[in-house]
Amino acid sequence: MARSAAILKALATAYRRDWTALQSLTGNNFFLLTLLLLQRAGVFVYLIMGLIVLFPLSTDPLRKVPPSRLALWPLTRREHWLLRLASPWLNPVTWLLAAGAAWSAGRTVSLGLWTAVAAVCAAAFALSHLPAPGRTPMWRRVPGIPGPLDQLVRKNLREILSTLDFYCAAILSASVLAWRIFGPALPGEALMAMTVITVGALSSYAQCLFGLDGEGGLARYRLLPVRGWQLLLAKDIAFLLALLPLSLPLAPLAAIAGALMALAAGHAPAVHHPREQTRWRFSMGGALGNGIVQMIALAMAISTVFSMSILFFVPIAAIWAASLWWYGRELERSL
Amino acid sequence: MISCRNLTRRFGEFTAVDRLDLEVDPGAICAFLGPNGAGKSTTVNMMTGLLAPTSGEVRVCGLDPAAAGLELKRRIGVLPEDLGLFDDLTVEEHLLLTGDIYGLARAETRARTAQLLHALSLEHGRHTFAAACSHGMRKKTAFAMALLPNPQALFLDEPFEAVDPVTAKIMRDLLQSVARHGVTVFLTSHILSMVERIATRIVMIRKGAVVWNSAVSELPQSLEDHYFDLVETPVVEELEWLGPPRS
Repeated sequence: MARSAAILKALATAYRRDWTALQSLTGNNFFLLTLLLLQRAGVFVYLIMGLIVLFPLSTDPLRKVPPSRLALWPLTRREHWLLRLASPWLNPVTWLLAAGAAWSAGRTVSLGLWTAVAAVCAAAFALSHLPAPGRTPMWRRVPGIPGPLDQLVRKNLREILSTLDFYCAAILSASVLAWRIFGPALPGEALMAMTVITVGALSSYAQCLFGLDGEGGLARYRLLPVRGWQLLLAKDIAFLLALLPLSLPLAPLAAIAGALMALAAGHAPAVHHPREQTRWRFSMGGALGNGIVQMIALAMAISTVFSMSILFFVPIAAIWAASLWWYGRELERSL
Repeated sequence: MISCRNLTRRFGEFTAVDRLDLEVDPGAICAFLGPNGAGKSTTVNMMTGLLAPTSGEVRVCGLDPAAAGLELKRRIGVLPEDLGLFDDLTVEEHLLLTGDIYGLARAETRARTAQLLHALSLEHGRHTFAAACSHGMRKKTAFAMALLPNPQALFLDEPFEAVDPVTAKIMRDLLQSVARHGVTVFLTSHILSMVERIATRIVMIRKGAVVWNSAVSELPQSLEDHYFDLVETPVVEELEWLGPPRS
């Protein structure tokens, strides 16, 4: 009994640290700006972000103990069962689900919503027990690009695919695709707005481009005989490659213009104030001021290219190139 | 090939490296020995341009690491203390990245990659992501990355730790081979038996200052005894609670 209690206590400590997921949501400039600008109209976006955050949080807490370690500990069969039954209650999601079930009993709409949330959590819990399909997870199978930055771009793309920002943007893009296939014609203004929201959902990542490299990665950057702008370019190409398929149901050229402005505005915090990021969480951008500047810049870029002329793409690309060159120099100094 | 004059590095009040003088000739294998925290990694970081000296001068391949950092990086291979690997690249992709960055033709990179993977018994794990590799595999990958561009000088921070005996022997043979071709090898290690077999020059450092610098043939006694005499004498304490449980 004491052994099980000790393990549960250690798991609780590990789980408390893992709840940085909610912190990451509050540090995500897209979430904050949606909250400020859209207010009640943004319920759809909050719902998507909430469900995406719930997914990784719903994994089985007992999976945090390496199986080899669990097998080596001198635990009786009874203690194993106790751990199995008690460990899910270390996860606040379990308590939330239980509270939701009690609250929604007898309320038809709430019950439906609760069932959907519970299904997402149950799926995540079950998936955390499945062995990985094959040796390489699907999200890590990304094609290379020609040129000397090939492997760096591939690595950066894999990093983006391990953040929740990408999946939030993917759901938004898929919603537009579904609407355009099955719904009535989408007005131009709505298409532009959805392009801004989708690029905005990815924009926080542009402020923390080096957040998933870790100390080992940063040490390697210092050793590689490449210029700072090349390292930034590899990051930016990966960002644009991640956005490209998502932009196809939207306004692709305007989306790329918006992404270039998001990157140009994101270089400063990414280089001067690098923040370590956690995988399978939303990216945490810099200060809210950076997020506001970034969102305004990308919205202006998208609206000018979409509504006025595609010729505006040229100065936008020039601004991005200047930012790349300048902050590449700054990166060489700071590495 | 490597030259230091009065090389000093301070961190606030603490002097990590104190007026280090050193000359290492082309083709030499220089072992830089000392206890944890003696200043070995700080010295290597200054030699490879990762850290600026507080005072003094260092030259590697005739270049000042602070002034010609990019050109120096093209000429040296480094196995850093933390290995410097990316979690999101496989073993093979790390080597391909190195070839691309150092400007090797793709066919040449692939040929060298295949040879290094084979030599270091990494073939079976070539598609394993660095995050999923054992420490030994990670170390071998970083070692292969240091060798792949065929550098003029190699800086290796504890290359033999955490690798199996067979791989350690292969690494030793590879290093002796590149040294015969004129490549300078500068390494740190705590495995004195391995150092004694491979090194041509021994430098010992204690609290940032050099306490011994000579060719291996000039050591007055075994390397281990000399190290214990000059650098640190081991003190073994009896732990009385170890042993069969008492009733």
